[in-house]
Amino acid sequence: MGDENTVLTAAEARHLLRRTGFGAAADDVDRIVSGGETRGETADRLVGMKPKVIRPNGKDPYLAHNKWIRSLVKTRTPLNSKLALFWHDHFATAVSKVGDVGLMADQIKLFHKMATGNFKDFVKAVNRNAAMMEFLDTVRNFKDEPNENYARELQELFTLGVNDLAGNPNYVQDDVVQIARAFTGWYYDRHGDAALDPDSHDFMADFPERGPKVIYQQTGGFGAAGRSFTVNGEGAGEIDAVIDIIFQHTDTDGKKTVARRIAHRLLEFYAHPDPATSVVDEVVAASGFDTSWELAPLIRAILVHDDFYTTMVPAPFGATSQKSVKWPVDYVVTTLRLLDLRLRGRDQSLQGGNYSSVYNHLTNMGQVLLDPPSVFGWDWETGWISTATLLARYTFARDATAARGHGSTSFRPDRLIDLSLSDPGDIVDAVTDLLGVTDQLTAAERDTLIGYATDGGANPTLNLGDETVRNTKLNGLFALVLQSPAYQLH
Amino acid sequence: MGITRRQFLKRSAVTAGALLGPSLFEHPFVRRALADTIGDRYLVVLYLQGGNDGLNTVIPVSGALRPAYDAARTTGKGGLNITPSQLGATLLGNDPGTGTPLALHPGLTGFKQLWATGELAVIQGCGYPNYSLSHDESKVIWQTGNPLGVGSLNGTGWLGRHLAANYGATDIPGVTIDYTVAPEYRETATSVLAVPRLADFGFPYDDYSVDDVAAKRQAFADLCASASAGANATDVYIGNSGTAALTSSESYPALHDLYRSQRGAFNDAYAALDTGTARRLREVAKVVYGVSQGAPNVAARFFQLLNDGYDTHSDQGAAETDGQHYLLHREVGDAVKLFRDDLVDMGVWSKVAILVWSEFSRRIPQNDNGTDHGSQGPMFVIGGAVAGGLYGNHPNIADTALDDEGNTVYTQDANPFRSTDFRDVYGTMLKNWVNVPAATILSSLLLLDGGDPASYWTVANFDLGFL
Repeated sequence: MGDENTVLTAAEARHLLRRTGFGAAADDVDRIVSGGETRGETADRLVGMKPKVIRPNGKDPYLAHNKWIRSLVKTRTPLNSKLALFWHDHFATAVSKVGDVGLMADQIKLFHKMATGNFKDFVKAVNRNAAMMEFLDTVRNFKDEPNENYARELQELFTLGVNDLAGNPNYVQDDVVQIARAFTGWYYDRHGDAALDPDSHDFMADFPERGPKVIYQQTGGFGAAGRSFTVNGEGAGEIDAVIDIIFQHTDTDGKKTVARRIAHRLLEFYAHPDPATSVVDEVVAASGFDTSWELAPLIRAILVHDDFYTTMVPAPFGATSQKSVKWPVDYVVTTLRLLDLRLRGRDQSLQGGNYSSVYNHLTNMGQVLLDPPSVFGWDWETGWISTATLLARYTFARDATAARGHGSTSFRPDRLIDLSLSDPGDIVDAVTDLLGVTDQLTAAERDTLIGYATDGGANPTLNLGDETVRNTKLNGLFALVLQSPAYQLH
Repeated sequence: MGITRRQFLKRSAVTAGALLGPSLFEHPFVRRALADTIGDRYLVVLYLQGGNDGLNTVIPVSGALRPAYDAARTTGKGGLNITPSQLGATLLGNDPGTGTPLALHPGLTGFKQLWATGELAVIQGCGYPNYSLSHDESKVIWQTGNPLGVGSLNGTGWLGRHLAANYGATDIPGVTIDYTVAPEYRETATSVLAVPRLADFGFPYDDYSVDDVAAKRQAFADLCASASAGANATDVYIGNSGTAALTSSESYPALHDLYRSQRGAFNDAYAALDTGTARRLREVAKVVYGVSQGAPNVAARFFQLLNDGYDTHSDQGAAETDGQHYLLHREVGDAVKLFRDDLVDMGVWSKVAILVWSEFSRRIPQNDNGTDHGSQGPMFVIGGAVAGGLYGNHPNIADTALDDEGNTVYTQDANPFRSTDFRDVYGTMLKNWVNVPAATILSSLLLLDGGDPASYWTVANFDLGFL
């Protein structure tokens, strides 16, 4: 067991880089290990990198999507880039309803900018984000025709969750109704800036039957009186007041509901699908997230916690090992980065196999950026896995490793692997090291790969200098590892 | 109440193995002894995603319930009222509880034809205690068959639990016509295929060296088998899914060619409907045809597909033929009717049952020009062996009977408005179509609620009568 001062091993460094970014490149691992970096030092460096804030705009969603993928493949601030994907899932907004790609690009820019910032400010900014206002109908929420959509999802998905960790409800339907009143009359102008139209806003005097603007009379630890969101008067300030109250909401254990939920979700994202409540509370306490609402210290607390490193158990994995399935975007971007492979042109296509665009590959894998399936985002973990989505991953692996003879966009294993190697075991190890799965394979699985390389022992050594051998078996080994169950996890 | 979606997902990876465990079912003799199988029958589950407006699906034409209907669904601009004269072509019978004459939405002429041949069972007022207005939460409840969030059932689908108990890891008993496995079939012990289009389901080999394909195939199969043999549920799931992808990639694409070559007229008829539901049902028809023709390594008996778009908060439309709700109903009705004709022609229609559900119905009083989330609604069971008719009671839509939200109330009290718990519909399917004994259903597939018998599902009725 360790703490922030524990020096990282190579395996731990790889784990940390995989989970916070897109694959563990050998150079990055070497830098950590040779420098004798501690968990805390590396976490500080990764969290503290000044992000390149991107705004993936384009003439249509297809081009914007490809632009975003391109930026991920090239990113030098992987933690921030990956976290922006997390927020895109958390505040899931779909261009298919929003319609305007530029508004979506603004929102993605916000996710990069706020990724490790103050979460309370982040949610207040999301309240006023034009794409969100369009997606969850804030712009269609009027005093005479209230629309509950945003008020519900704000609580259910963005902040509190339906239930707390003990399984008790965090809010009731009346809280949804009252919060919807706060958001009546909001719109955005042609610059995408939010504003309130007082004529469409619900003022208490006009609707006495709706009662005072009070929430959480039954939950939240505010007592039977609940809490009013008009303490500073009615109008534009109400939506900020609502957020301030939500962040004071406590669960049935008396803990800050939002702090626990966000910590839980980030642990699910970084560590494993089923974090213990004790770990949730430890990272919140260590970071002071429940008072400061700063995300950077919370993420640091997760990345130095033992629970994060115990998920790194080597193969064979036991029944209680916590595994995490790579997101499709992670699968694609990690593979491209580790293979030093470039996409080509407007379609950002792979130059092999079906010559498909990265957009088509990701559609078939079940994750199109800018277009999550619903406000609930994507289904993680085994929800990513089906025969269809696996076949899509296998196809991407095939296309990537079959991209031969296209110059700078070719797959060039000769630049990745020492061609003087001839022992099949050494060659297999070189491939699995490069793809970061050596620790994830059992001895029998390694033997399977050696058996493939040698055609069951018929060719005890391989001459990688021979182009046919290289094109067949070396490309084949890369394809097999990319298609293996182990590589789907990280 | 219930579980959140994230809990469902996060538990799906870890709980399924613990719940059904390899321990009891992995032994082939144990599995055979427990075999409660669907035999030579087929079950198709069709999900109307988004919350179908039940009140404008099975509509009071006149009589006791009509005044409440007229009060809730307005006429004029944006009004959702469907007039008695617009319902003349889609009349059903009388509501068993109140005697009110009922009719289908005018877009559902396809279903009306199935009604006329006695192949459409309309099961009214289907719901569960303490309804959720969240799409996601309610969907999970229907897919797990677990409204109260009983821990032992979390993370697995109601049909998935049946498959896990009766099929082996390399069997492929079910097919979802989509990119992801339908959550009602989700489990980790067998392989349920997810296939959007059979024709595209070949395994992607590098064509650089055709001679190397056999070696690559063997190595890939061995890697998947190794993961399947592991102790970790996630590894097992990915290994099984990989094996299923490989083996089905070698048998399913041929079903597309077989169907096209031998059933050209029906193939074209689906294409002429030009809807997603028609295209997806055609994929089901291809598999059913393959199974019925003895195609090698194809044995699927359980299917799932969905039609999206029922979340009609606005611009729902009443009976206008270009309205949202009309188009949705017509798409489903026409596609199901064609599927029926196709399967009649194949000679297997008496072996097929289609179960139609939605995560909730919609608010009884309409809003400006649409409807918000609601509670109970109708389900449909369709098939050559189905006893057509009206089952269950129309919910009480009188303004005074609605709850504070404007939704109908779930009740198990014996009265003209007694609700149908959706688990009784599932149980009837399982017992009388899938051949699972009631005791097995109640011990491992669907668990009775505790609590007040008037407000909870405390007594099962797996003989609703439609099968």
